[in-house]
Formats: sequence, C-alpha cells, structure tokens
Amino acid sequence: MFLIFPLSELWRTLFTSIIGVLTLVGIMVRPFRWNEAQIAMGGAAVLLLLGLIRPGDAALTLLRDWNTFLFFLGMMALSALSETAGLFDWLAVQAARMAGASAARLFLHVFLLGMLITMIFSNDATALILTPVVYVLVTRLRLPVLPYLFACTFIADTASFLLPISNPINIIVMSRFPLALPTFLRLLLLPSLVVIAINLGVFFLLYRRQLKGSFNIKHMPTLSQAVKHGPYFRYTLWVLAGVAPSYVLASAFQFPLSMVAMAGAVLLFAGALCWRRTTLVDTCKGISWSIFGFIAGMFVVVRAIEDTGLTVKLGNLLLHLSGGTSFGAVLAGTVGSALGTNLINNVPMAVVMNSALVSVQHAAPAIRNGFVAATIFGCDLGPNITTVGSLATIIWLLILRQRDVDVSGLDYFKVGVVVTPLMLLAGACTIWLCL
Amino acid sequence: MKILCCLDGTNAEPVGRAARMFAGPQPLIIGLLTVMDVGPRRDIDRTRERFWRPPMHRQPVIQEMLGAEKEAAGDILQAGLERLPEAESLLRQGHPELEIVNAAAEWKADVILICSRAEYGAPPNIGPRSVGHVARFVLDHAPCPVLLVRPPAGEQFPIKG
Repeated sequence: MFLIFPLSELWRTLFTSIIGVLTLVGIMVRPFRWNEAQIAMGGAAVLLLLGLIRPGDAALTLLRDWNTFLFFLGMMALSALSETAGLFDWLAVQAARMAGASAARLFLHVFLLGMLITMIFSNDATALILTPVVYVLVTRLRLPVLPYLFACTFIADTASFLLPISNPINIIVMSRFPLALPTFLRLLLLPSLVVIAINLGVFFLLYRRQLKGSFNIKHMPTLSQAVKHGPYFRYTLWVLAGVAPSYVLASAFQFPLSMVAMAGAVLLFAGALCWRRTTLVDTCKGISWSIFGFIAGMFVVVRAIEDTGLTVKLGNLLLHLSGGTSFGAVLAGTVGSALGTNLINNVPMAVVMNSALVSVQHAAPAIRNGFVAATIFGCDLGPNITTVGSLATIIWLLILRQRDVDVSGLDYFKVGVVVTPLMLLAGACTIWLCL
Repeated sequence: MKILCCLDGTNAEPVGRAARMFAGPQPLIIGLLTVMDVGPRRDIDRTRERFWRPPMHRQPVIQEMLGAEKEAAGDILQAGLERLPEAESLLRQGHPELEIVNAAAEWKADVILICSRAEYGAPPNIGPRSVGHVARFVLDHAPCPVLLVRPPAGEQFPIKG
C-alpha cells in the first residue's frame, strides 16, 4: 500500500518497527492463546500488505534459508520414524539394564542417553520423544518421576551445542555465519562438556535424597517388548549408523546438513512403508508444520526490520557493550541471547541476533567468533531458565501458585533459575578461553 | 471412625502401623488413597508447546503413560491392602494435594493419615523443609484432623541449640 503512496524513510522505519515490536510482543504474551505461527505470519502479512517489505525480498529471504527449513523437516521426520521403530524405548530399557537396579546410576544413564540423542537427533527428540519414554520407564520402576523428567528436559538444551546438528538454532545461526566443524568444536565442545558436567553435578546434589534408592528389575520391560518390529528396528539402526557419521562429514565439508537429514528420513520412511510400520499421514502427524509458518514469518519480519537499520543498531550496541574485547563479546552475546530467548523464544531470538551480528562481521576474528559462538550458546542454553516455556508461561504458573496449588512447572523454573546462570557464566568463560 | 490413609508408594508400612494405633472399641473404616499425579503430564505438555507440538492426549504414547501410572497405582494400593486387608481402595487422578483434601471431604473422613514426604531410602530428614508440599497443603486445607506420620529419627536427637 505504501509502495503506491511512498512514505519517507522515517515513517517506514516507524511503521516497520511498530509491527516488528508488536509481533515480538505478541509471541511473548500470546493474546487469546493464539499460536505463535499465526502471530509471526500475521506480522509478515501486514508488512507485505503495507508494502513495508517487497514480496520479492521476502521470497528471496525464505529461499536463502532453504537449508534451515529442510533441516527442520528432515530432523523431525527422522525422530518420528525412529520412534516408530521403538528405538528410544529400546535405548531407555538398555540404560535401565545397565544401571544395575540403582536409581542414581539410572539417572546418570538418562543424562548420558539424552546427551547422545540430542547430539544425533537434536534437542527436539530428547525433549519430546525421550521424555515420555523415560516417564513410562521410571513409573513402571516405581521411582520418583520428577528428577528423571528434569534430566531429560534440561539435557535437551544443555547438550544442544555438542555438534552443529544438535539444535536447529545452530543451523539458523550458521546459515549466515558459517563455522567450519573444527572451529565449531574448538569453540563449543569444551564449553558444552563443562555445562553438562555442571548440570549433572547440581542435579545430583538437588535430588540426592530421591536418588538414594534402587528399583526392582522385575518391573523392567524386556528389550524385545521395546522393539516394535524387529526387521524395521534393525533397518533403522543401519540407517542411523550411516546418518550419524554423514552429519559429521557434511559439517566438516560444509555440505548442507538438511540433505543428510532428509536422505535419512526418506530411507527410514521407505523402510517403514515397506514393513507397513507407518503411513504418509502418520508420519506427517509427527511433524510440527506450524513451525515452518513461524520461522517463515519471523524471517520476513526480521528482514523488514533489518532493512530499516534497527538490527544493525542492536549489533552496534552489543559491540559497544563488549568494549571491543573478545571476553566482552562472549559475555554480551551470551547474556543478550539468553535473556532474549526467555522473552520471545529461541528461534526468533536467533533470527534477530543473526541480523544484529551483521555489524560485527568486520570486527576482529576473535570478537566475531566470540559473538557467533555466544549467540549459539545463549540461544541453545538460555531456554533452560524457563524450561516449561516462555516468561509468560512462568507468570501464569505463578498466578496458579497463588491459589496454593503446587505447580510442578514452577519447580522447573526454580531449578532453571539456580542452575542456568551458573552454566551460562561457566560456559561463556570457557568459550572465551577457547577463542 | 473413618481414617483416610494417603499412600505415595513408599509409605505403606508406616501408614499401616499408624492406622492400627486407632484400633479400639469403635469400628474403624479405613480408606487407602493414592493419586495419579497429572503434574508431570502437564509439564510434558508445556514442553511440547515450547516445541510447537500438540498436547500429549493426541499422541499414542499417552496410553502407555496412563497404563504405567495405573499399574503403579494398583501396586501402591496392593501394598497398602497387604497391611490393612479390610481397607477400602480409593484411586484418584489430579493434583495429589487437592485430591487428598477433596477426597477427605467427600468420603467424610474423621482423620487423615499422611507422611511428611515420600522417602526413597535416604536417612530421615528433620528440620525445616522436612514436610513436603503435599503434606503441607493437606495440613493447611484439610477438612478434618490430620495425623502427620514422620519417620523415626531418634538417632538425630538431642537437637543442639
């Protein structure tokens, strides 16, 4: 509309900023329980209708990020099809078998299993698929449920930067600021191990009383009960045995990771169809389609804001806050990203930071890498503060708590508030040392 | 006299012993209550929401979760019945603290027996925070007298000032 009635740059900036801010606030508070995807796409639609972003620019922005969209699709399909094979149930039973009836050892194994699954399938699979599997297992073993659920939920985020594929956020950030695999590992592997160790140590301390006991192995399901279909299960193992090293090789050679995820998903889907373990409809049900609308909406909204120069100003502010030092860069990037993820969710925050970090592209390599690594780190680990959702969810839980009802969701928040700042600080210092 | 015994999977023995203390000339009606806690399922739903997924009740795994919960609740009640064979079993689903006080009111309990918190093999804890949130809520909201069954902790005495 404004393309027909041209506006001055000042008005365009003002309108774009208002729509951008309203979109982000909408995602934060979700009025009338609207879906975030509807809000993000609504914001993008308004910008397009008002001519504040050209349709060609919007389309180009989305096409440029094809790797992110396909990675999300491949990753979700891969997890859903592996779940159909009973892989996660089988791994959980193995973890319990190897625990030798000790509740504490099972807790450690759940942590390690969550780490492994996050590393290969991404945090999504750990938080969404492993958690209910572990819930069923520990309920059957008559163990206290909460410590194990906390372990799954937290490790999903804590282990999110072990590899580039461990969290789709890493793909979003690296689509604009590519890091070679050796650089990624140099910057983030040690911090990852440090924060995992802190997470594990603090949790063992917090839940030491609940983890004293043992469980009766007679309640444990057998491995054959976990496997839903032998031949498809074995086929899944073979496919994943190929996918895992392919991810590493693809990262090393900067080959699009989405291609590996999609190839793995197609192979698993073909096998599942062949053995009649799934249908197209069932597989589609395992995928969150709204996330594509959400990401697409956010990409367009942030692109429009970027055109006004506002995100560059945010980048300059971060650069200023860093004081031009690598330590300042890591600290400003970590704190900014972590706070933002708890306000507007980590996907929009990663997109905003991607746009803001354009200003640091020409800074010294240590500062640039510090910001990029800190953005990945802050956006991946930050959600552990308000694990059960955004700050808005926490406020809602606090209201419920005022009615004297004990809301376990708040327990997550209490633990997150204690353990996450500690992990963020230790991780940021380690990133700085690795720069 | 109607006694409502709250079972949490770790306390059949101390609750059974405490209920026996009420034996006397008046007839005793004992109810064994266990609650399938919906809190963890809601937490999983909140996590799903964060990852843009529909709630659990639309997923096949929910049947497995409910099955495991019912199996565990059945075992908890069975452990109580082994100690108090004449008791009546009550199984509810919801927030444990709310379900206990509501069940006590509906069942017209004269007394509620509840342990201070579930014990998983650690030595008994005395002092601040030794009463868990469920027992604390029941003490605050019960429609009848409450007997708080604490684990024996004689070896931790005398308490030094």
